[in-house]
Amino acid sequence: MSDLFVWRQEPLGDDPGAVTRALTEAFAAVREALEERRPVVVVVAAGDLLGQGEPLDAAVATGLLGMVRTLGIEGARPGWRINVLAAPGIAAHRGEGALAVAAADEAADEEDPVALTIAMLAESALTGQLLQAGGANLGKLPA
Amino acid sequence: MRAAERPVGGAGVSAAIVTGAAGGLGGRIGERLAAAGHDLVLVDLDPRVEEVAAAQGARGVVADLTRAEGVEAVVEAAGTEVGVLVNNAGITRDARATKMTEADFAAVIEINLTAAIRLTLALEPGFIEGASVVNLSSRASLGNFGQANYSASKAGLVGFGRALAQRWAPRVRVNAVAPSLVDTPMTQAMPPEVLAKLVAKIPAGRIGTPEDVAGIVAFLASPDAAYVTGQVIYACGGRTVAP
Repeated sequence: MSDLFVWRQEPLGDDPGAVTRALTEAFAAVREALEERRPVVVVVAAGDLLGQGEPLDAAVATGLLGMVRTLGIEGARPGWRINVLAAPGIAAHRGEGALAVAAADEAADEEDPVALTIAMLAESALTGQLLQAGGANLGKLPA
Repeated sequence: MRAAERPVGGAGVSAAIVTGAAGGLGGRIGERLAAAGHDLVLVDLDPRVEEVAAAQGARGVVADLTRAEGVEAVVEAAGTEVGVLVNNAGITRDARATKMTEADFAAVIEINLTAAIRLTLALEPGFIEGASVVNLSSRASLGNFGQANYSASKAGLVGFGRALAQRWAPRVRVNAVAPSLVDTPMTQAMPPEVLAKLVAKIPAGRIGTPEDVAGIVAFLASPDAAYVTGQVIYACGGRTVAP
């Protein structure tokens, strides 16, 4: 569990150029972890997947999901494990680090669905999947 | 007066902007929007867009949308009343993730996603009541081998559109079309056996045509889609549900 890599998407602000930087940084970091055979969890805000927050945060959240799905396909042969976890809320309403569950070691809070799901993904063979921690997606479009 | 109710060819005609319009798909989209009575502004980095525009009686703008001056040129050409924006410009730089350079990843994001974001936001003051933004996403937004960059860019357009659809409602609608394999110079350059294998996975039994996609764009830009916003239409011949 200690080798789990968690990428947390933080709010971008209002500079469109940050979209390119955020996605490229995420790609580089996630790829490095996968090549080290570490399981990866990309944490985004569920509300951003639905576009309920800031447009740039939404672009990055769904962009990360698309990227992870492709990496899930490409990783079938080498055995990569990479998934997206949608945490409740939207990125813009959270302070820095609010989405942070940096490692499964910190997932001691049994009441926290985000921490619990990350801990589960650290041990799971699932890959290329989107998991929702919370019910914000119910009755909405599938992401 | 709503966009599609405005008279054609005179005062009050709203602009319809299509990016990536020098290519086959952008050209077809332009033709459909021109037929609907819009004052067409065709945009591309490729200077051939001026020929395409001239053939359609439209205005052509050669612009690099990754640069501020390129965006400004389009805003200026569009004028003060914009009825339709179609974000169609895009590139591919395919490679497996392990072989993909960060520069190629960033370039695809910058052109396909971030440039579209910049242009859309820059045009916001000019959108008239009932205006429609249509983003060209892709079935690859759901994941596609060798396209981590492209998948991210096209999926990013979906989220961006969903957010704007809520933020700009009810004045402006924002939707996306997600094509699969479309008959363009890029697919025509593929080895026939590779193309045949890909087509075999499409329940419709054929490759998509630019007209297939342009028709959906025209629908989303029209009053027939007045109650449609924040959505994605997959123009993929059923590929998204096939094994």
